[in-house]
Amino acid sequence: MTANKYSVLNTRVHNVDGYPKVTGRATYTFDVKLPGMLYGKILRSPHPHARIISIDTTEALKLPGVKAVVTGKDTLGVKQGIWRRYPELCDEQILTIEKVRYIGEPVAAVAAINEEIAEQALDLIDVRYEVLPFVDDPMEAIKKDAPMIHDGVERNVNVTRHIEWGDVEEAFEEADYVREDWFKLGGQAHMCMETRAAVASYTPDKKLTVYTSTQSPYYHQALLAGVLGLRESDIRVIAHYVGGGFGGKFELDAAQFCASVLSMKLSKPVKIVFTREEDFIATKRRTPMYYYVRTGVKKDGTFCAREARVFTNGGAYTGMGATALYLTGFFHSFPYKWKAYRYDGYRVYTNSLPSTSMRGFGAPQAMFCSEQQIDWIAADLGLDNIEIRRKNAHTAGYEVPGQATIGSCGLGQCLDRIEEWIKAKGTLPKNRAIGISAAGFMTGGIFNWFDSPYSFSSAVVTINVDGVVELHVGAQDIGQGSNTTLAMICAETLGVKLENIKVHSGDTDHCPADLGAWGSRQTLMAGNAVKMAAEDAKKQLLEFASAKFGYNIIYDLDIKDDWVHNVARPERGMNYVDLVKEALRGKDGQRIIGRGHYTPHRKGMISPAYSYMVQAVEAEIDVETGKLSIIGCTTAHDCGQPINTLGLIGQLEGAASMAAGYGYLENMPVEDGKVMNPNLVDYKIIRAPDMPECEIIEIDTFEPEGPYGAKEAGEGLTNPTAAALGNAIFHATGLQMKQAPIMPEMIVNAFREKEKGGGTP
Amino acid sequence: MEKQLLRFYVNDQEYELFINPKTLLVEALRDHLGFTGTKRGCDTASCGVCTVMVNGMAVKGCSVLAVQVNGMNVTTIEGLEKDGKLDPIQSAFLDEGAFQCGFCTSGMIMSARAFLNETPVPKDTMEIRRGIEGNLCRCTGYNSIVRAIDAVAKGKYRGVCDDSK
Amino acid sequence: MIHDFTYLKPGNVKEALAMLAQHRDSAKIICGGQSLLIIMRQGLVVTEYLVDIKGLDELSYIIYDPQAGLKIGATTTHRTIESASLVREKYPVLAAMETRLASIQVRNWGTIGGNLAHADAAGDPAPVLIALNATVTIASSIGIRIVPLEEFYPGLFETVLSPDELLTEVIVPPPSARSATAYQKFNLLESDQGIVAVAVSLSVNDAGVCRDARVVLGNAAPVPIRAKNTERVLIGSKLTEKIFAKAGETAREEADPVADIHASEDYRRHLIAVLTRRVTKEAWEQACQA
Repeated sequence: MTANKYSVLNTRVHNVDGYPKVTGRATYTFDVKLPGMLYGKILRSPHPHARIISIDTTEALKLPGVKAVVTGKDTLGVKQGIWRRYPELCDEQILTIEKVRYIGEPVAAVAAINEEIAEQALDLIDVRYEVLPFVDDPMEAIKKDAPMIHDGVERNVNVTRHIEWGDVEEAFEEADYVREDWFKLGGQAHMCMETRAAVASYTPDKKLTVYTSTQSPYYHQALLAGVLGLRESDIRVIAHYVGGGFGGKFELDAAQFCASVLSMKLSKPVKIVFTREEDFIATKRRTPMYYYVRTGVKKDGTFCAREARVFTNGGAYTGMGATALYLTGFFHSFPYKWKAYRYDGYRVYTNSLPSTSMRGFGAPQAMFCSEQQIDWIAADLGLDNIEIRRKNAHTAGYEVPGQATIGSCGLGQCLDRIEEWIKAKGTLPKNRAIGISAAGFMTGGIFNWFDSPYSFSSAVVTINVDGVVELHVGAQDIGQGSNTTLAMICAETLGVKLENIKVHSGDTDHCPADLGAWGSRQTLMAGNAVKMAAEDAKKQLLEFASAKFGYNIIYDLDIKDDWVHNVARPERGMNYVDLVKEALRGKDGQRIIGRGHYTPHRKGMISPAYSYMVQAVEAEIDVETGKLSIIGCTTAHDCGQPINTLGLIGQLEGAASMAAGYGYLENMPVEDGKVMNPNLVDYKIIRAPDMPECEIIEIDTFEPEGPYGAKEAGEGLTNPTAAALGNAIFHATGLQMKQAPIMPEMIVNAFREKEKGGGTP
Repeated sequence: MEKQLLRFYVNDQEYELFINPKTLLVEALRDHLGFTGTKRGCDTASCGVCTVMVNGMAVKGCSVLAVQVNGMNVTTIEGLEKDGKLDPIQSAFLDEGAFQCGFCTSGMIMSARAFLNETPVPKDTMEIRRGIEGNLCRCTGYNSIVRAIDAVAKGKYRGVCDDSK
Repeated sequence: MIHDFTYLKPGNVKEALAMLAQHRDSAKIICGGQSLLIIMRQGLVVTEYLVDIKGLDELSYIIYDPQAGLKIGATTTHRTIESASLVREKYPVLAAMETRLASIQVRNWGTIGGNLAHADAAGDPAPVLIALNATVTIASSIGIRIVPLEEFYPGLFETVLSPDELLTEVIVPPPSARSATAYQKFNLLESDQGIVAVAVSLSVNDAGVCRDARVVLGNAAPVPIRAKNTERVLIGSKLTEKIFAKAGETAREEADPVADIHASEDYRRHLIAVLTRRVTKEAWEQACQA
């Protein structure tokens, strides 16, 4: 690795929120307590599909301690959704009025003086339902005679997406070998350690403050304004510490909505915290999918054509599911050059919990299918599985026809390093094998259909008289460390020590607009905004230095490690803090303020840049019981210039733990619309003794679009693991597993099928 | 239902509560005494974010009736630092980046502290992993946490902080 | 939400028994509460009186008597059992089972008596203790009775305890010469309850023949069961791979497992066959070396 040329970037630093978090001082929405605060609980539908005939709340209101009961009829009844520019995607009232469409859907909410009374009140609310026939599988829901879940939506087809380039039929003709497979991908729960939570406080001056566990205070401020009939600026969303998001916390949820509605009725603070069970059954989850993949290749392994047809289980509402539908089709072509490609995606409503974005956003599902099939094709043709990938890999500058331009791309190097690593491993014991998966992922989803088509970030850098820098960002830290990463970029750009930076985020009253933490956008987009703001502030500061010293501001002056100096003669200079004091003394009483923003321009609609990786998973299979264990996980990773060193390692290991869960642990069966394991005993999250050691091989690239050449790290890393695990199983046993997560019973059954001579399951 | 008098120590400070006996230890700590460092994250005693020490033993605050700790000393995350000086485990967590969203961190650090008190020299990192087996983390994948605990066990913080608790 | 109750805290066993005699069905006993509090929070258990015996230190002990064997008081925590050198030396399978039970936090506060009385079909201690031929001592204000643990469970989540009775002690007979007990459970994650579990106790005579066998299947029926047909396969023979496999197949048929989201009935039977074969072999190899 080349020596680090930066003072702050890519060094091991303490997380800027570290002290509050390790000392128990960090206050999450879960901890917020306001004077006179009431506690809210939500009554939920027991039926997957039913018309609401009547709701009688009189008995509940009589219960001592109950202050209010609301139903959908007490709201504006707005059909809302995250992609507001497309009304047909805004289909969810949250407190539903006419119909319930999934088990767990909110039908009423209670505010009481304590949780226990609120819960007792739920039992006193009398809801009359007209139970309707339901359908919980997309392949059933799409049939002509299936129950219609949303009025006017024929065959429950909520959204379709189509991606195509080249002549697919012709390309298949050219292929020497064609293979097709069907796959079934499960859902997954975000399972944030902090469940959905909100404290809403409406005051007599008609202002609403909402503390909430969110990935985007900006979105929530606007969404709440839309459904409550308030001005956005009369709503303050506060999220100082958020206990995890993973894609599940930037849409409006029932905690925020019901707490706000109740608070507005009572002008008292109302707190709603989901139980873990509610968090499992009544939030949106990773999108389950049926995947059909047909691939044609030349006998030397050159990729010719791919055709994919995907049916996703959309659940009851759209949420971010429309985007997941597109991205899965987009990333299903990654990271390879296809002569011709065709993807048709159908998102189908069903009477089960809605599905939406979750870390990886459709790509882990896409990789599970694509990367395994590629290994199977390589095996069918007697080709090396690294070489077949190398032959077709994305390269820097490649144009995904009509879709995207690849900027920096370290995929080739990733393949080389993993190939070396595998060779060095040598022969493995019986029933153990290494499986690989390549992947490429967006660094900042450009798409935004909330209020403008384009994504944006902004930042403000203010230098105080003592040299301390207030960095205001709208980017939201949900644990991924964006506060630290952005502080590091700010410090590096300004040339000051990291401890000078104070980050302000998570408060719409004080922070500039930013779409928030989703789509892997914050390092690149907010990072660019911060860099620009810091450069602006630095320039203003250096103007004083230039006036003082007579050095040229562009060529001769710089700041590094708190030292303002002449670039050629660094000993000539002064302390940054002293310069600030002098500079501000000469001003009109203001501090130095730098402003920055970033909007990707002419970078397509997906992303301005792409991260790349190749992951090798070493797994062991107990062939008699089907039990899997992951021995180790090694990833060659291209995220451009690493910024937050400890953050990067944490993202890699954390992503691996979540993606491994998707691969073999986090089974989430839904039967007749009911989540069968809505608790942490039956829903298996990996624990410390089962977590493998992870190794990271950093690949050096520079991404011109990113601040200092940086790209995303942390979401792309969820893409390869399930696929790599599947490939490990294939190489150890010959089994071709087409369902995720891969459960031991499936492996045992697959062995039996194989013995019977039934071929691959 | 008759309320019960509970007299106990939290972080070496005596407290007296008159409470419904069904009050869980975590509720007594958070809701009655305001120690919100300890969190709650599930309904089935599975996640461990509510872990505190009772007479030095790691227990889940959601699975202990508060009245059962009458006369005992409960240590919460707030009680680990001494006069502004961090416990070595806290310092190690900072150095290793052994947390992300931080919601599991209080409970995780309490489990780690209890584990190292009992097993100051773990025989290998698997033993450390088993020491925090009862604590779920969705963000880190545990390995940075194990590195932090291992660093303390290997004596990296001796002399820097008092690690002989 | 836990329903309100009247809290009773006896100062000793005698007081506890008097309370139970007085309140009978209106009272429930809490010790460590690691299982009970969860189901109370779910509203599955509602009680007028809660008798808290967690503080009864007179029932917290581990002693070894050369005649009677290992005596463990009911309020002894799992952690105490797993850490006791007495247990580690004389009954290593018991210590090993405890180290893989739930988590340290649960083991620090939860007790062996509470675990056995909770009667969870997937519980770890019962199959191991039944394989070890353990008995439990049951006390009431009238007197005491001793019940073999394998007769303690009439049905799912049921014990033979009357409302006025308290489980006070577990007794494990002294280990016989040339014997060993092994235990394995099948789970996805370490220390989860077993999807199924098998405990096997074997003893071998001087001629190298299996003299006695106790095979216990866990979570393969509503209660832990002695797989007696499987035992008959083992007793009287020199055990070989072929016999281990036959034991597995016999246990597969003897099991009476349910299907749930974790496993189908067929897969549970399959696991029983595999585990029984493996655990029998493990116990045999240890017994032959003992």
